[in-house]
Amino acid sequence: MQLKQNSGVPIYQQIADSFRTDILAGKYEQGEFLPSIRGLAKDLKISVITTMKAYEQLAEEGLVTAAQGKGFYVNAQDSEMIKEQHLRKVEDSLTSAIAAAKIAGLSGEELKEMLAALLEMDEQ
Amino acid sequence: MNISYAIEGRHITKKMKGFFLDIDNLKIPKGFATALIGENGAGKTTLLNILAGIRLDYKGDLTFFGQYSDEEKEDNGTVKNRIGYTGTGKYYLPQWTVKDIENISKLMFESFSEEKFHRYCDELAIFANGRIDMKKPNSSFSDGMKTKLMLAGVLARDTDLLILDEPASPLDPLMRDKLCQLISEYIQNGNGEKSVFFSTHNISDMENITDYAIIMENGSIVEQGFVEDLKEKYIVIKGDATDTEAAGKILYTISSNPYGFEGVCLSENLEKLAGMKVTKEIPTLSQICVAVMKKNTRIVMR
Repeated sequence: MQLKQNSGVPIYQQIADSFRTDILAGKYEQGEFLPSIRGLAKDLKISVITTMKAYEQLAEEGLVTAAQGKGFYVNAQDSEMIKEQHLRKVEDSLTSAIAAAKIAGLSGEELKEMLAALLEMDEQ
Repeated sequence: MNISYAIEGRHITKKMKGFFLDIDNLKIPKGFATALIGENGAGKTTLLNILAGIRLDYKGDLTFFGQYSDEEKEDNGTVKNRIGYTGTGKYYLPQWTVKDIENISKLMFESFSEEKFHRYCDELAIFANGRIDMKKPNSSFSDGMKTKLMLAGVLARDTDLLILDEPASPLDPLMRDKLCQLISEYIQNGNGEKSVFFSTHNISDMENITDYAIIMENGSIVEQGFVEDLKEKYIVIKGDATDTEAAGKILYTISSNPYGFEGVCLSENLEKLAGMKVTKEIPTLSQICVAVMKKNTRIVMR
C-alpha cells in the first residue's frame, strides 16, 4: 500500500480504497479479519483514528462488519450486487458529466472524445 | 464510535498570579494518543502537573480510568501505578546515579522491571559505548539523554496511561521518530486500553501518531477533537490577490501578500467562497493548530 501525503485524497480514503480493491478482488476470505486498527496504524506509521475511519467507511459500504472488541471481518461479497452498485455509480457520474457538458457548450462528439482521451490516459 | 475516557475533568480551575487556568470539560480518550498544543504560557504544564498529581492545589473534579476520583488516585497506590509521567528535566534529581534511579523506581512502582529498563537504555542508545554505566549521575546527561532516560524509566513499568510533558522538545529528529514509534507500540500493545497524553510544540513531528488534539490558549481549551474530524472542519484555501479582500471577510484566518492569499476556512463557510478562483487543500494538524492559535493569540501577527 502506497500512502501519498499530499495527493489531495485523505489518507483514510487511500487506505479504504486499497482494502476495498483487495476485498473485491477476493484477496480476503469471507469472515477473515482485517489487520487490527492499532496494528495497522503502527505498521503504516499513522494515527489510530485514521485507520479506524478507513475501516468504518468500509463497514458503511457493507464490505466489512465490526465485531465488538475483535476488529473488522470481511463480509460475504455478492459480486452481482457489487457490480450492480458500480454500474449505477458509472451511470450517475456519466449523467452529471453530460449535464456539465451542456452547460459548457460541449457537443456529444466532443464529450465522447474527451472520454476516449481520459480512458487512454488511465490505461497508461 | 464507542469512546471511553482515560481521564475526564470538569471545571478544573487554578488561579495564579497573572494567570487563570479554567478548563470546563476535559476528555482524554482511552486507547488513543492525545496531543496538548498551545503557546508558551497557555497552561499546558500546569494542566499536566494537575493530572500527574504534581499539583494538588486546584479546584474541580477529575476522574481517572472511568472510576477513580483525584483523591482516590492520591490515596490508592494502584491508580498511580497505572500512570507514567515524564517532565521537562527535573523529574530525577541531578545527583541521582543511574543505579539510584533504578533502585528508587523499583521502590516506588510495583511493576518497574530492571530488565526492561536496561533493554530500553540499550534500545535508545543512552550510553555511548553501549554499556550501561550505573554510577553515572543524572546531572551529567544532556537534556536529550535525560528525556531518553525518563522514557526508559517509564516504559520499564506496566502502565495504562502515559502523561508526557514536552517529550519531543529536547530530542533530535531521529529520536523524535523513535518516540513516535514507542508511543505507537505502547498504544498497540494496549489494544484499546492504553492511552498517551503528551504536550508538544513539535506538531509536525508528532502529527502522524496523534489521534486527538487539544489546543489551549490563555488557560482554556479553544479547540479539541479527533484529528480526522478537525481535518474536515477546517480547509486550507489559496487564492489570487483580486479576491483577498472579499475572502478576508469569510476566512477563519488569512495571510496575504501582493500576489495572493492563503488562509484557513471553516467548512461550513466554504460555499460563501463560490465565484472566487481558489484552490482547496486538506490541512495538516500543524496548519489547523497555527490557525486556531493565531485566532486566539495576543501576539501581534503581521
